Order: sequence, then structure tokens, then C-alpha cells
Amino acid sequence: MNPALDYEYALLLPELILAGTAALVLFADAFRREFGVSRRLLPWLAVAGAVVAGLVSLTYAGRSENFSELLTVDDFTTFFRVLFAAILVVLVLGSHEFVERHVRHVGEFYALLLLATVGAIFMSAARELITAYIAIELLSFSLYVAVSLTLADRRSGEASLKYVLLGGVASAMLLYGLSLLYGVAGSTYYAEIAEAFSSGTAAFEWALVLGLALVIGGLGFKASAVPFHMWTPDAYEGAPLPITAFLSATSKAAIVALLLRVFGGPLLPAIDEWQWMVAALAVLTMAFGNLIALQQSNIKRLLAYSSIGQVGYMLMAVTAVSAETSSALLLHIAGYLVTNLAVFVVVIAVHNRTGDERIVGFRGLAETQPFLALVLTAGLFSLAGMPLLAGFATKFFLFQAVASEGFLWLSVVAVIASTVSLYYYLQVIRQMYLYPPDADAERWRPSVTGLVTTGGLLAGMVFIGLYAGPVFELADQAATALFA
Amino acid sequence: MIPLENFLLLSAALFAIGFYGVLARRSAILILMSVELMLAAVSINLVAFAAYLDPEGLTGMIFAIFVITIAAAEVGLALGIVLRLYRERQTANVDAADELKW
Amino acid sequence: MLRRLPLPSQFDRIIITGGLVAGVALAPLLLVLLVLLAVDEITAPEFVFWLVAAIVVGGALGTVLLPNIVYAALSLVATLLGVAGVYLLLGSEFLALAQVLIYGGGVVILLLFGLMLTNATDDPVVTDGSQKPFAAMVGLLLAGVIIAAAYDATWGGSELAATSLRAFGERLFGDFMVPFIIIAVLLDIALTGAYVNARRERAPAGDDQEASS
Repeated sequence: MNPALDYEYALLLPELILAGTAALVLFADAFRREFGVSRRLLPWLAVAGAVVAGLVSLTYAGRSENFSELLTVDDFTTFFRVLFAAILVVLVLGSHEFVERHVRHVGEFYALLLLATVGAIFMSAARELITAYIAIELLSFSLYVAVSLTLADRRSGEASLKYVLLGGVASAMLLYGLSLLYGVAGSTYYAEIAEAFSSGTAAFEWALVLGLALVIGGLGFKASAVPFHMWTPDAYEGAPLPITAFLSATSKAAIVALLLRVFGGPLLPAIDEWQWMVAALAVLTMAFGNLIALQQSNIKRLLAYSSIGQVGYMLMAVTAVSAETSSALLLHIAGYLVTNLAVFVVVIAVHNRTGDERIVGFRGLAETQPFLALVLTAGLFSLAGMPLLAGFATKFFLFQAVASEGFLWLSVVAVIASTVSLYYYLQVIRQMYLYPPDADAERWRPSVTGLVTTGGLLAGMVFIGLYAGPVFELADQAATALFA
Repeated sequence: MIPLENFLLLSAALFAIGFYGVLARRSAILILMSVELMLAAVSINLVAFAAYLDPEGLTGMIFAIFVITIAAAEVGLALGIVLRLYRERQTANVDAADELKW
Repeated sequence: MLRRLPLPSQFDRIIITGGLVAGVALAPLLLVLLVLLAVDEITAPEFVFWLVAAIVVGGALGTVLLPNIVYAALSLVATLLGVAGVYLLLGSEFLALAQVLIYGGGVVILLLFGLMLTNATDDPVVTDGSQKPFAAMVGLLLAGVIIAAAYDATWGGSELAATSLRAFGERLFGDFMVPFIIIAVLLDIALTGAYVNARRERAPAGDDQEASS
């Protein structure tokens, strides 16, 4: 009797729903003339799938089970399932007008977003290296393709080529590292790896360090940590804006979730071997991400380097991994996602109107569309970590948690980096408030969905900023499940 | 009997040669071939470890078959993009992909 | 030097030349190995291993060093078939078969098609980047580090155990069923990616016009 028949597939229901929706979207797009389906229906299908998947995953709250030793379904997984489903909903709602105008192959576009979300969820749920690797590739492959979908833009294919070639090299590095870890530990299951490493690693010292270095390099590439970040600005610039947002939101959160599971679990006994590597990566990422961002003139590239800087803060927390830093990190991720999506949805709404990707394209936004200017200002201030907004509260918890784990110097670097980042965020805000609009000085209104999503995200930012308690409790539960 | 180290030696050489190819070559298709070399090195490693250290679990061999599959899929995906780039600018060299700053 | 698409007659020439070069390069190695085998310095499996290793490494060097892109692709075939030989030595017939079918039959054909469709065969000689010395240094360093790490460790198992195809299949389709399913989705995405990019783009069109052309 094949054991595969007895698995509890109900545990994977949210992912099955997402993948099913992806198939449905592709099908509806391919046969839209036969069934009289309008392309305008596709985003709503995707949203419906994501909402259902998010609601279904809520029913797993408090449970802790594993699926055939490959995937864990616990509060940590549930946290990310809900988060990723929410990102998908917000992103599709906030960008469907953009997609209609600037994306080729709309059906494939939404299907890829849904499948990338499945990959991201599996990354946060995996408890076995093969599954984790395949989840990473599922997310990466979807994004390789999605980056190439900008309509009539030569930069898109180029960005995709660079992404796929460098991504292939990074995968090979990651895999070589994983193969060495497999050789050292004799297993690919997290639990067995942890067991193998607890009983001493002296016999494999060099191989272990080399394997860890290659794994950290490969994952650092996927997280766009400096010095493995060279693909990031190009992919961000060539991709359609919603994919740029997705790259900086889901893709980053998923890789951090994976890092937490791997480095907080099986690799924790070998902490002396990898801690300094991740710390170095974090410092480099915080410093260079924020410094290079200072010179950018394209909003996508600016946000690319800003997101690299943000990854640095998250890596810093991975360095000092413990139950406390993990819950602070999860809170920070939630705050970062809300903030970052707010910024991107505003940029998308403005781009719908002006079609301009330069930072100077935001001139006089305070006059032509004061509400969006306000949301963007709040978002950028929150990214920089100004009080009253999500960014301040979550960064405060994060830096404090890292410092109390004995990494005060990392926290100091992070605070300096945050201060630097305020400068380039202010550049955008200056364009909006201090300059008159360039040509089109007429007041305009964004679409209803644009208003609803930006309004909701603004409320979320202020809520987390003023009253982080409830979200922190959820993050704490998730982190507790991870270290249970 | 062949010692395990021999296989690791072979795979190390293959991986390093592939990495050299990635750094030195300019044609996108040749870079892809070099990546294939690196992935072949990974598979040798995995199968060797599985055969010597994990003969009951065989996890490494399963990993290797997945790696082979993904490598093949990656070639297909990447070649599609190379073809598109070639149509847009009549060359398959990555140097020609210069509209975005690297 | 090839100037045009390699037509069958030219392919013959490539194969004959390639075979001669490979034979001349491998002959001394073969001699040395035969002598070593004769004096019982190495066992028969080791003899096969070194021969296969020479093919793999030689092919790989050809792939990254040859200036002619078609020769490089054919050199890759030698490497990949050699890797199949390595799997056979490791007692994994199934992987060897899969390697020959997927790489020899699929990937290499795909790569050759890529070369033809990008007209690389018209002008097969490519120039490499200027950072060759740097790349060589990095490559040597990497090889050194990995080899040092491999020899530093005490790996334990020294016996090559026989693996059964049945156990492999049961594990793949039992314990690893879900990754197997995810791989199917992944292949689907790769297919999508190949066709949205390789397909010739029609004039940009609005909602449902596009489908009518």
C-alpha cells in the first residue's frame, strides 16, 4: 500500500485552493471567448481565491501538525499563509488597472502570482531540505517569468535574462551547499540534521563551514543581500510594478521565513559556524543598500535599494536568532509588508495617471492628489522608522531584541543606516510637497479600489504604529510555535 | 573499491570549471551550459553521498533526480528569454543587455 | 573553422576531428591506467572511474574554453554522458538512464536549437569576457577549497552499497510525493515562461482584440 494515499491532504487545503485558482484563471483566460468571460473578471477570481485560502488557513490556528515529515502546519505557517494571502489580495486590488494597460498575458500574470504565493507558503512551511529547495524554485521560476511580462518594454526581457542567469548560478551554489550539508548530516530532514549536529561536528569542520557558506550565499542571493544583490535593481526596474512590489514583499518575507526555520532549527547547534557569516552579510546589506539608494533617480531602483536595506535589518535579527528576536522579527515583517505595500500601491496609482517612473515624476503630487501624497509620505516615513507609524514601533522592538541578545553593535549600525535612509525618502517627499506639478496640474482621483487599498494600508500603518500589541501577540505565538 | 573522496574530487573540479565558465563567458547560452556543469557537479555529490552514507534512505538520489528535472526546466525557460532578447537586439551576448545598469 | 550552419557533411567532420582529438588526449591516460592495472596498483572499478573522470573533466574544460560555440555544446555532451557513467559506477542505473535521456536527448538538443535560432552557427566563434584571469583564479581557489574540505572530513561510510530501484521508486512516490507534484507545477511555469517569451509578439492590443488575430 502506497503511504502517499494516506496523507492528510486537507492540511494543504489553502495551497490547493491557490493552485486551483491559478488553473482556473489560466483556463478562463484561454477560453474567454468561448465562455464570454471578460478579462476584467480575472483579478477578481484571483482575489476570491486568495481570500478563501486566507480564511481557510485561519482554521488551522493553534494546531501543530506535520505533513508526511515534509511540511509543518503550525502557527508559524498560519502566520505566513495569512500574510501572503493578504499581500496577494491587496496587490491585485491595488494594481488591476495597471495590469490591464501594462502587462502582456494577463491570465498568465495572475496565475503566476498565485503560484508564486504557493511557493512562498511552502518555503515557510518546509521541514525538509528537498521540499524547501523546490519551494524556493517554485517562487523563483514564477518570478523569472513574471518579470518578463511588461508590455512593450525592452528592459523587461533584459531584466528577466539577468535574473534567470544569476538565479541559476545562485541555485547551483545553494545546491552544492545543501549537498555538503546532506553529506555531513546524512539526512535532509530538519529534525535529523539538528540531531546530527548536536552530537558534534568536529569530523566535518571544513566541509560544514563551506556548505554553510554556499547555502548562505545562495539564500542571500534570493534575499538580495549585499554582495549578492546585483540582480535586484535591474529586475525591479524591468518588471511590471506589481511584480516589483511582490519581489520586495512576499519574496523577501518568504526567504526570511525559510531562514528562520532553517537557522533557528536544524542549524542552531552549529551556530558558531554560521553566525559571523550572517552578521557580515547583514552589516554589508544595511550599509550598501542604504548608501547606494542615495544616488537613484528612478523610483523603482530607489525602492529596490531601500528594500535591500530593509533585508539587512531582517538578516540582523536572523544573526541573533532566539524566540524573542524571532517574534520581534515577525512583527517587523508584518509592519514592513503593510508599509511597503502602501508605498507601492501609491506608486502604481500615480503611474497609472502619469506613466512616469522617475522620482521627479512625483512633483506637485500634494496639489494634484493630496490623499495619495499623504499615504506615500506616511509610508516613506514609516520605512525610515519615524514615530507614530508602523516602522518605528516594529524597528524599536527589533533593534532592542537584537541588542539584548548581545549584538548591540549590530543595532547601532542599523540605527545609523535608518538615519541615512531618511535622507533619500525625504527626497521623494520633497518632490511632492515643495515643487509645483510639472505639466499636468489638474486634480485627479484614483480609482475606487486604489483609494480603498491605500486607505486600508494607511490605517494599518497607523494602527501598528500606535497599538502594536495585538499584532505582536500573533507574532509571538508564531515564533513560539517555531521554537516549540 | 573507489573511495568516496574520488567522487567528491571529481565533483569539485566540475563545479569549479562551471563557475569559471559563468564568470568568463559572455554568450548567454554558454553561461547556461556552464550552469549545467555546476548542477551536474551537485548531482554527482548527492548521488555519491547517498550511495556511501545513506543507502537505506536514498534521499540524495531523490534530490538528484529533482535537480536534474529543475535544471532541464531552467534551460527551457532561459532559452525562451534568450530568444526574445535575440529578436529584440540581434545578439545573444549578455554584454548587449546593457539598457539597465548592472 | 566553421562559417556556416553545420550541415551533415560538416557534422561528420566535427565528429571525426573531435574523436581524433579526444583519442589522442585520452591515449596516454589509458596507457598509464592499463599499466597501473596490470601491476595491480588500481582495481578495475578505479580504472573505469579515472577514465570516466577524464572524459567528464576534459569535456567540461572544452565547454568553458573552446571559442567555437558549437564545439563547446558538443563537448558538453561528452561531459554529460560521462556523468551518466559516474552514476553507473555509483550503482544508480536509473539516474544514469535519466541523465542520458534528459540531458543527451533533451537539454542538449534544446541548447543546439537555441544556438541555431540565435544564428550563433553563422558565426560560431565567440569572444569571452576580459576578466578571464580573474575567473580562472576564482575557479582554482574554489576547487582548492572544496577539495581541501572533502579530504579534511572523515566521511564514515566506505562501502558502496547496492541500491535497489524498487526502494528508490517507493521512496520517490511515497515519501516524496508532494515535492513530485510541486515539480509538475514548476515544469508548467517553465513552459509558460518559454512560450510567453519565445513567441513572436503581436501588435499590442486591448482586451479581446488580441485573441482574434
